[in-house]
Amino acid sequence: MSTAETVSSDARGVAAATDWNGVGFRGARNRSRRWSRLLWSLVYPQRGQRILPTVPGTLLIAVSLGIGTAAYNTSSNILFITLSLLLACLVSSGVLSWFNLKGVTWRLRVTPPLRVGRDHAVMLELRNAKRVLPTYGLWFDFMATGVAKPVRRALAWRLDPEGDTHIEWTFCPQKRGAATVELVAVGSLFPFGFLRKIIGSELRREVLVWPAPVEYRRFPLVSWRQPGLGEQKATVGQGGDLLALRPYAQGDSQRAVHWKASARLRRLVVRQFATEMQAGFSLWVQTAAEAWTRPEQFELLCSFAATLAEDLFRSGRLASVALNDEPSHPVRSVRDLELFLDRLALAVPVDQPYQPTTSAGAGRRFNLLTFAPDGARGVLAHVDGKPAATA
Amino acid sequence: MSMENRRPQLNLPELHQLKWLLGGLLAFIAVWTVVYMDVQAWLLLALLTLAIPVMTAKPGLAMRVPRWVHLLAFPVLLSVFAVDLLSHLKEPLPPVIRLALMLVLYRVITPRKRRDDLQIIVLGLFLVVVGGVLSVSIVFAVQIVVFTACALLFLLVITLVNGMEEGLPLAAGATPGWMHVEWRRLAHRLRECVDWRVAVLGGLLFAGVVGLSAVLFMAIPRFELGNSLFLDRLITGHTKTGFSENIQFGDVVDIQQDTGVALSVDVSDRSQVPSELYWRMLVLDEYAKGSFRMSAAVKYSIDRVSAQNSRVQGEAPPLANESVWIFYLETGTSRFLPLLGGFNEIAFEGEKEVAFSRDTGLVMLRQTPSKMLAYRLEGMQTGSSLRLPEKIAQIKVASDKQELKAPSLTALDLHADEMAKLAAWVAEIGAPRGSPVEFARGASRWLAKRHGYSLQSEIAPGRAEADPLVRWMDSGSPGHCELFAGAFALLARTAGYPTRLALGFKGGSWNARSESITIRNSDAHAWCEIFDAAAGAWLRVDPTPGSVVVGDPANASKGEAVLARIRDDSWAARFESLRVFWYRRIVNFDQQSQVRLVRNAKKLADERLRALKKTLRAELEALKGWIASPWDVRRASAWGLAAAGIACGVVGWRLAGRGAWLRWRGGRTRGGVDPVRREAGRWLRKISDSEAGISDLACVRTELEKLRYGRSANWPEPMGIFRRAKRALAGRRR
Repeated sequence: MSTAETVSSDARGVAAATDWNGVGFRGARNRSRRWSRLLWSLVYPQRGQRILPTVPGTLLIAVSLGIGTAAYNTSSNILFITLSLLLACLVSSGVLSWFNLKGVTWRLRVTPPLRVGRDHAVMLELRNAKRVLPTYGLWFDFMATGVAKPVRRALAWRLDPEGDTHIEWTFCPQKRGAATVELVAVGSLFPFGFLRKIIGSELRREVLVWPAPVEYRRFPLVSWRQPGLGEQKATVGQGGDLLALRPYAQGDSQRAVHWKASARLRRLVVRQFATEMQAGFSLWVQTAAEAWTRPEQFELLCSFAATLAEDLFRSGRLASVALNDEPSHPVRSVRDLELFLDRLALAVPVDQPYQPTTSAGAGRRFNLLTFAPDGARGVLAHVDGKPAATA
Repeated sequence: MSMENRRPQLNLPELHQLKWLLGGLLAFIAVWTVVYMDVQAWLLLALLTLAIPVMTAKPGLAMRVPRWVHLLAFPVLLSVFAVDLLSHLKEPLPPVIRLALMLVLYRVITPRKRRDDLQIIVLGLFLVVVGGVLSVSIVFAVQIVVFTACALLFLLVITLVNGMEEGLPLAAGATPGWMHVEWRRLAHRLRECVDWRVAVLGGLLFAGVVGLSAVLFMAIPRFELGNSLFLDRLITGHTKTGFSENIQFGDVVDIQQDTGVALSVDVSDRSQVPSELYWRMLVLDEYAKGSFRMSAAVKYSIDRVSAQNSRVQGEAPPLANESVWIFYLETGTSRFLPLLGGFNEIAFEGEKEVAFSRDTGLVMLRQTPSKMLAYRLEGMQTGSSLRLPEKIAQIKVASDKQELKAPSLTALDLHADEMAKLAAWVAEIGAPRGSPVEFARGASRWLAKRHGYSLQSEIAPGRAEADPLVRWMDSGSPGHCELFAGAFALLARTAGYPTRLALGFKGGSWNARSESITIRNSDAHAWCEIFDAAAGAWLRVDPTPGSVVVGDPANASKGEAVLARIRDDSWAARFESLRVFWYRRIVNFDQQSQVRLVRNAKKLADERLRALKKTLRAELEALKGWIASPWDVRRASAWGLAAAGIACGVVGWRLAGRGAWLRWRGGRTRGGVDPVRREAGRWLRKISDSEAGISDLACVRTELEKLRYGRSANWPEPMGIFRRAKRALAGRRR
C-alpha cells in the first residue's frame, strides 16, 4: 500500500478506540501504576504541560507574600491564619482542577473529504468518565496546516458525569496536499481562575486536502460524443434501462448483483444498464516540471483535473485515470476516484520526462483526456489531442 | 456544540445574577468588620448597609448611575482621601479604611466587570484582615472563614461566566438582560440545578480547606524577623470602658451597664485564688470640686518611667513554685493593667511601651491596646494590703525645673460647715484614733446604716458650690459603690487617715470549660485604700454594703472553694470558653507552642504504638493459647462447619446473590434504569475504552449488548457475563 493510501485510510475518519486521549488516560488502566505516574508527572510534567498564574493568581501570590512578610515581621497569628487560608485555597484550587480533569477523555474526528477553499468540521468528542463530579470550563486549542495561530474553542456548558459531548471547529484548508489537524492543548482556569493549566496534547490527524473545484468551460467538441461499438465502460452503470447481465468485475456494487441469476449460474452476475454504454474517458495528468513552470498554474491543473474527474465520474463517463508514468487505473467505484484525488492532492511537478508505456497506453486508446498549459495562467484540456475544455 | 444534559444547568444570565448576589454578600461581610475597628466611618457604614441590599436586590439601578459619576469618581475619591489623610497624619490607617469603604461603595453601586469583582475581593480581604489584626477577636475567625467561602464561590462563578462568555460579542450601553432579576425564580433554578452530591462534596472540600489551613497554621515555621506590629501603630486606641486617668464620678456605674467581657485570667495554681478578687487598675488620689481624680503627680510618676520593654520587674520577691497568672485583656478595656496586688514580674508578648509606678503599684501602657493584650504575671501577691509608700516622692519636672507636689491625702478643700459636718460624723462613728482598720469598719457600718445600695442614686439638690458627697451623706438616699467609696474617703481623711480611691473590677466568674476566670465590665467597682502607718502598707477598704470591709473574712475559703462559688455554667460561659480557646491556642500560638505540639504528638503516637503492641501481643498470646488447647472432634467439626458456611456464603453471593440483588433492585434506582442494564452499560464502556479489534472481547460485547438493550426475558445469566467481561479485560491488560 502506498503512503498516500495509508494516509488516506487514516483520513477516512475511522477512529479506533485507542484514539481516546486524556489526562492520565493510559495510566488509569493499571491502578498500581496510577499513583506513581501521577507523582512522577508532578516532578517531570508531560511535554507541553504548563501552569501559568493568571491576574487573580498573581494577585493571590502577591497578597500571600505580603501577608507572609507581615506575619513574620510581626508574629501576628491573625496574619498567619490568613496566610494559611490563602495557601490552603491555592492547594484546593489544584485539587479541584485535578478532579475536574480526571476521567475526561477526548478524541479528534476529521471527516473527509477535505477540499481547498471549503469549510470542514473538525469534531472533538469529549467524555467524562467520572461517576459523580461534572466537568467545567475546559478549552481546546486547535491547529491545522495553514492556520497561523491556534484556534480556541471552549466547553461553555457543564459536562455531566458519565456524559459525553462534542465540540466543533470549522476550518477552511488553503492549500492542497498532506495536512495536519491537531489538538494542540487543553486548558482550564477551573475552579477559581488562579492558575492557567495547559495540558499539551499530541492528538493529531494526518489528512489529505484535495484540490479546489474550479469553474471551467467546455468547447462544443465532437469528442464528447456517444460511445461507439465496443466502447464500454469498465464499471456498472447506475442509471438508465437494464440491457443485459454480465459477469461480476472487481469494483462493481453489490447492489447490482443479480442474486437469482448468480445462484442459477453459480457465479456472480451483475445487471448491465444503458449508462455503461456511454462514452468512457481516460484521464491522464502529466506533471512534467518543464511544462508546468508556474506554481499557480500547476495548482490550477490539479484543480481542473480533479473537477473534471469528479464531473465525469458523476455522469458515469470516467473510464480510467493515470498520473504521469503510472499505469492506468480503471475507475469502477467512488473509492477509485478518491484514490485518484488523493494522488492529485500530493502531486508535484516531476523532473523526469514522461515515457509512455504499453500498459499505460492501452487504457488511453479512445477519448484520452490530457492537459496542457494555456498561456501564462490557464490550463487547457484536450480529448485525443483536440482542445475540449479550459480553466 | 451539542450536549445531552441530564440535569438542568444555570444559563449565562442566571450565573450573572448569582455573581452579582455573591459580590454584594462579600461586600456586606467585609464592610461590617469596620464595626470592630475604632475608625470614624459610621456614615459610610450606614450608607453601605443601605446601598448593598438595595443594589443587590435591584441590579438594574446600577445602570441608572449617571455617566458623570463614573468620570468624577476617581478624582473625587482621591481628593477626599488626600484631605482625610492630611487631617489625620498621625493615624493614617483610618483614612485608608475609609478609602477602602468608599471604593467598595462605588463598586457596589456600579456595574462590575471581572476586574471590578476582583477589586471587591481584595478590598474585602483587606478590611477583614485589618479588622482581625486590630481586634484579635474570635469573630475574626468566623468572618475570615465565611468570607473565604463566599470569595471562593464568587471566583468559581466568575470563572464559569468567563468560560461561557468566551467568544460572545460584548454588549455595550444597553441594560443587560440579566439585570432584571426574579430572585425567587433564581432560587428555584438553583435548587433544580445543584446536585446534592456535588454540593456535599463541595462542603467537604471547603471543610478540608479549613482543616488544611489549620494544619498549615500549626506547621508554618515561626521565627520573628522584627517586632513592629505596623497596623496598631497606625491607629490610636481609645478606652471604651472609661477606665482612664480622667475617670469621673459615676463612670464606674456606666461601665457596669456593659455586660461584655473585659478580661479573662488563667491561673496555674488554683489554690492561690484569693477569697476576694479585686482587680486593681487605677488610684484617684486628688479630691477637688466634688470629684476624685488622678493627681498630676501620679500621672507623671507613671509617665516618666515609660520604656520599651517586654518585661516589667515588680517589687515582690521571687518565690519557689509561684503560680503563673495569664491575663487576656480585651480590646479597648483600658491602658491600665488590672492586677490583684504586687507582683514579681510581668512578661508581654513582644516589646511594649509600658510604665510601672513603684509609688502607686500601677502598670500602664502608653496607649490603650487596640487588640487583645496578653500578659503573664509571676509572683502575684493576692492579699488585701499593698506595701507601697504613703506619699509619692516629689518630682522635679525637667522642663521648667518646678517641683511637682503630690496632693495631701488627708487634707480636704471643703467649706467650713461641710468640714464641721464631716467632723461630727467622724465623731459619731467613734472609732479609736490610730487604728485605720477599726475606723474603716466603723465608718462602713455607719454608711451602711444611713444608705442603701442602688445603682440608681440621686444626690439631693443643694447649693451649687456644696460638695455633692457631703450632700449625699447628709441625705441618706441610696448610692452606688463610687458614692460609698468617695464618702468613706472623705470621712477617713477628716479622721486623719491618708486615703485614696481605687478603681477596677471586683469578682468574676469561673468558667469550668475553659478553666479561666472571666471578668466582665459589669464587675467594675470602686473601693478605697487607707494607709496603715503601723504596718507601713495600704489596706484595701470596701465600704460598699455587702462587701468585706477590710482584709479577708474570718474562715475565708481560698482556691477551689472560691472557684466553685463563682462557677458559671451558662451558655454565655460556653461561648466564653471558645473565646479563651481562641486566645490561648490561636492568638498566643508561638514557636514554643509548636515545639510543645510536636512533643505532645510524639508522646501520643508513642503511647498509642505501645498500646497497640501490647494489644497485639495479648491477642497473639490468646490465639496461641486457643490453638494449643486440645482439639476434639466436636470442636474441630464446629469450626469446620463455620468455615464451610462462610465459604458457601461467599461463593453463593458471587454466583447468584448479587445477580438476584440486582434483579430485585430493578426499576427502583435513579431514572428507573434497571441495574443489570446499567452494569452492562458500564462494562460496555470499559470494553470500548480498551483496545479495538480484540476478538476475545467481541463475543462478550455481544452478550453485554443483549443485557443492555435486549428484552429482559431473553437475557443470559448476567453475573456470568460480567465475570467473563472482567476476565477478558484483565487478560487483555496483562
